[in-house]
Amino acid sequence: MIVCVAVVGHQNNPLYIQSFTEADDALKLHHIVHCSLDVIDERVNNPKKSGTTLNEAFLGLLYPTLNYKVYGYLTNTKVKFIMVTTDLDVRDTDVRSFFRKFHAAYVDAVSNPFHVPGKKITSRTFADSVSNIVRSYTFN
Amino acid sequence: MEEYPEELRTPPVSLAALFGYSELHASISKHLHSQQPPINALAFPDLSHLSLLLAHDDQINRTPSFRDPLSVSDSSPPTPSGCGGILKRDWLLKHRTKVPALVAAFFPSHHIFGDPTQWLQVCSDLDNLKSVIRPKNIKLVVVVVQSSPQEEISEDRLVALRKRAELDSKYVLFVNSSIDSELTLSLSRHLALAYYREEGRRIKSRIEKRSSHSLDLNVRYCFKVAVYAEFRRDWGEALKFYEDAYHSLHEMIGTSARLPAIQRLVEIKTIAEQLHFKISTLLLHGGKLIEAVTWFHQHKSSYEKVVGSTEFIFLHWEWMSRQFLVFAELLETSSATVQSFSSLNQRTTEISLTEFEFYPAYYYQLAAHYLKDKKSTLELLLSMSVTAQEIDSSSESVIPSVYVGQFAQLLEKGEAFTLHSITDEEYIRYTISEAKRFQDSFEIVAWLKRSYESFTNLKARRMAALCAFEVGREYFGLSDPRNAKFFFDITANLYRQEGWVTLLWEVLGYLRECSRKLGAYKEFVELSLEMVALPVTSYGDSGNLENEKYGPGGPATISGRERIHREIFTLVCREDELTSSTGESGFNLAIDSPLDLEIDLVSPLRPVLLASVAFHEQMIKPRALCSITLSLLSHLPLPVDIDHLEVQFNQSTCNFVIRNSQRPLWDSASNTVQRGGQVENEPSLVLVPNNWLRLTYAIKSEQSGKLECLSVLAKLGPFFTICSRAESPAAMEDLPVWKHENRVESLPTKDPVLAVFGQKATQVEEPEPQVDVSLGASGPALVGEDFTMPIEVTSKGHAVYSGELKINLVDVGGGGLFSPREAEPFSLESHHVEICGIDGAEGNDESESETGNIKKIQQSFGLVSVPDLKDGESWSCKLEIKWHRPKPVMLFVSLGYLPHGSEASAQKVHIHKSLQIEGKMPVFISNRFMLPHRRDHLLVNRIKPAPDSEDMSSLPLNEKSVLVVGAKNCTEIALKLVSMSIELDDEQGETSCLIQQGGGCGDTAGSANLAPGEEFKKVFTVIPTMRTPKLGLGSVHLKWRRQGGNNTTEAFVSTKHKLPEVNVEASPLVMSLNCPPYAILGEPFTYAVRICNQTQLLQEAKFALADAQSFVLSGSHSNTVSVLPKSEHVLSYKLVPLTCGQQQLPKITLTSVRYSAEFQPSAVASSIFVFPSAPQANATDKQ
Repeated sequence: MIVCVAVVGHQNNPLYIQSFTEADDALKLHHIVHCSLDVIDERVNNPKKSGTTLNEAFLGLLYPTLNYKVYGYLTNTKVKFIMVTTDLDVRDTDVRSFFRKFHAAYVDAVSNPFHVPGKKITSRTFADSVSNIVRSYTFN
Repeated sequence: MEEYPEELRTPPVSLAALFGYSELHASISKHLHSQQPPINALAFPDLSHLSLLLAHDDQINRTPSFRDPLSVSDSSPPTPSGCGGILKRDWLLKHRTKVPALVAAFFPSHHIFGDPTQWLQVCSDLDNLKSVIRPKNIKLVVVVVQSSPQEEISEDRLVALRKRAELDSKYVLFVNSSIDSELTLSLSRHLALAYYREEGRRIKSRIEKRSSHSLDLNVRYCFKVAVYAEFRRDWGEALKFYEDAYHSLHEMIGTSARLPAIQRLVEIKTIAEQLHFKISTLLLHGGKLIEAVTWFHQHKSSYEKVVGSTEFIFLHWEWMSRQFLVFAELLETSSATVQSFSSLNQRTTEISLTEFEFYPAYYYQLAAHYLKDKKSTLELLLSMSVTAQEIDSSSESVIPSVYVGQFAQLLEKGEAFTLHSITDEEYIRYTISEAKRFQDSFEIVAWLKRSYESFTNLKARRMAALCAFEVGREYFGLSDPRNAKFFFDITANLYRQEGWVTLLWEVLGYLRECSRKLGAYKEFVELSLEMVALPVTSYGDSGNLENEKYGPGGPATISGRERIHREIFTLVCREDELTSSTGESGFNLAIDSPLDLEIDLVSPLRPVLLASVAFHEQMIKPRALCSITLSLLSHLPLPVDIDHLEVQFNQSTCNFVIRNSQRPLWDSASNTVQRGGQVENEPSLVLVPNNWLRLTYAIKSEQSGKLECLSVLAKLGPFFTICSRAESPAAMEDLPVWKHENRVESLPTKDPVLAVFGQKATQVEEPEPQVDVSLGASGPALVGEDFTMPIEVTSKGHAVYSGELKINLVDVGGGGLFSPREAEPFSLESHHVEICGIDGAEGNDESESETGNIKKIQQSFGLVSVPDLKDGESWSCKLEIKWHRPKPVMLFVSLGYLPHGSEASAQKVHIHKSLQIEGKMPVFISNRFMLPHRRDHLLVNRIKPAPDSEDMSSLPLNEKSVLVVGAKNCTEIALKLVSMSIELDDEQGETSCLIQQGGGCGDTAGSANLAPGEEFKKVFTVIPTMRTPKLGLGSVHLKWRRQGGNNTTEAFVSTKHKLPEVNVEASPLVMSLNCPPYAILGEPFTYAVRICNQTQLLQEAKFALADAQSFVLSGSHSNTVSVLPKSEHVLSYKLVPLTCGQQQLPKITLTSVRYSAEFQPSAVASSIFVFPSAPQANATDKQ
């Protein structure tokens, strides 16, 4: 189950962060999302060292925490998408397609002429479409 | 890792035992130990100590027998604990310290080859020794120590010895007392390895008969084989068997039923831990980092769910935590991490590993996390059950049993101690009492700190921040606010930078409580205000404040902000009667303890009070009113009522106060605004959240210069002030935490232009100068003359005190500024324009002496002090400037003075004047050479010019040439020319050339008035007397002055013009044309060409005469003539003119054969005027 998704701006500031758990652990998820930015930094700055090819936006598994797995995605405008899931056995292809849909929803949201780039995304439509996407994905 | 016994942590070390001949032991032991890998040695002085060998394990629970002590088979008599275990605790240690792989028995040679009784003793010793070691397969070496190498050896005895010892001959060694033990060493290594190999093989064979025994035996055998392999340094086999043991062990979970459930699991997990440790160590030392990490993952995931009793889950968490910690320590100490990432690219496909899983920091962090779980579950357990609370450590004497991972009770039965197995209940009591003794928090803090440092070194700031936060929380839990604050501050700084508001809220909540506990009132208020001004917009009010998931700050919601806002403002804005109630907030404040907060541009408190100040004008007149708009913005969630505002400027006289008229006057007057300063009243001063409070007032400044608003100070209540740095609307930066919020932003001022370009500073102009400075002359100036510039200072309303006149010359032609500093290294010549002097103040001599008259003059800079002048008075001076080259120059004159006497505070008033002056050349001097009429010299150089003397004129030697010098006035001013003369440069010039002024008396002829554009010419004759290719003719000296003006005393200006050098040659041939001055139509005349040879040689000359249309000619057209030295030849022609007017005579061309040079007379020289008839005028004149 996907428990948290986040959009992080290119100054590493949160633009949108939403958790999907009944438990009241949003704060913990915020910490996880925030820490995963370090991994993204590391991968983007040392692409050779980490052996990943940055030809694609999908960054793969960022890091496993105790009960979660964190996946990342980096757009061309250096906006980062981060997804936290509790599923332990996840196929990369599923995550990829999730991020593609998420990216499309994001593009729709920021294409709104009333949206100021770099500001937090407060669009209700975006929130709805994100939660729809999240609900449609259970990885195993 | 330290809690493991050393024999587990380090690779095994072989052991050898030495018997007899103790003198050698020390050196042999040392040798063995220094080997690579080392061998430990047990030394016994003689064989009587044989019983000590292998003694230990036979004492406690074993009847002395020669059973294999290394294996505990099921058939062995049951141990007092009732059931066996998987591994014995001291097995590894035993092989390190007790059971040698090899026994070396030393005998002196005379014992063997000497007295039979001694030989018998040797035999019985050997028998004893064999009986002990043979069952264990321990290898034996007999060493015969000879006192000298030449000692006699009896072959019979030697054979007997070998037989007795049942040894190969190579295992019987002979050594001297002064041995080198190389041989011994290699032999002992070999033997020791053989021992371990055989033992390993023996146990391996047991494993192969797998079906015959239980899993736990299998684990044990695999373990032993692996250890033996390690003894042999066969890491591959060791790894394989450790893994076998590990997998077999895992199968035991749920199948074994030997011990009570909890203890059973504990045993399995303990052994799994040790096996895992061995495997990881081997992998890491082999440089297989990826395998090690992958292995750890498997280990973690296969035991993660093996929780055991959920009631006592803390055991599991403790175990998990230890796994992470040990692995972290292994990673940290292993050298493999260095080359970690080179091999990282070949990722295993089944498990993808991420970067941070290769750093120990990750594992430290998780170890701390599990330990926290353990701590909290233990606390929960203790709080739930009363019995658990009562347990104390003294209750039972439970000790670790002989088996790894098992515990037993030590019971005293008379003299003997026996171990008694315990029930799960007893075990749990034991573990709880043990757990209570430990301070988990310190461990957690230590590991998190390591993790923090490690992440910081890796530049993973966010991970480090999280660790710091966890450390802070742990310290907070330990009631150590000082340390907690240190780590919370680290975290808060990062979250502030990146604008993670919810996380920041959480940390600030903790920090706030820390400062409350530390009693730091100011900090508490600052942190509270920062929290309150955070852009928290969620309305969700679900969590209650006591929820453990939130820090002491509560959930980040609007209501949370409002709650803290109310709390903090009741505290800081307390009135006198409220002071008593502040105790509940944890602060005991004196009644009159004021609190002043300073907010600068980088302060996190900027959102609390943002002050934007804009002047409406960029320039204001002194003492004129100027509007200033003050805009205040607050992001506090609730409106705030301000008592009064103070606006502070850099000119403190401008400071003013805005008072809220609804509020009572506080008698504590401000100390920044002077009494009697400007006070404005406003009906209300309420800061509404997210709305600009805009106030516009008029102020005036007395002082010229910059007027800048520094800060705005808001007073709320009698004891609380917030001082915010004033900001220009034009340069206002976004608030770091608010800038990403999606909200409507309003402008600080209503006027959009002011909001975009407004500045918090303005320029106050200087008072209007009431003194006139006039420059009395304009250009152009002439090069060479002293150009005089009268400067007059006239007071027209202001008196002048301490006046200073600054004069500056600046080159406008682009030649660079003539600053005084630049001028110094150059000589005077390099200055094209310079100030020669300042002719000070006529008629003000007495005042000059009073003021000390500073006069400072440099080539392009001058400073003159102006005497004090009263209103209406004037002062003047003259500036003399000299041009050396024609150049336009800018003259800047500025006067600075004090209008009201010489007070220190008074400001100087400045007047600036500037004037561009052209510098011009007064006259243009030209010169021209002419030869005597109709006389041509063959000058070889002129005909065939040398390449370098292109423009040089040539003059014939000792001939009279004419020099015409012209001087043309090229200015617009009439000049008076006084004299013109040529002066030869030096004595050499005097002798080489003779110059005479044409026209006799020179003085009167030289003086002339030159109107603009007019030219004056003067004729000189030059007779060169020396043959030289470069003859200096000296220079023309011209004396002149400006014409007109009544100032006759003005000195003449002398201008020099150097004449060009000429080439002087002796001409070998001179051709002169002789003909009458005019001709008459039809009348014949004689035209004679004289060719004069001036050399000592015979000169052959060819001549050719061209026909001319206007003449009829008689005589030879062309011929070659020879002219004798120093004589002349005359060619004579008779010509009859046919046409009137100026006519060209027939052209003669002369070619000198010797010089192969051809020359012609010039066209002017060979023309003649033909009259139609004889001129009558002349005739009448004659008559």
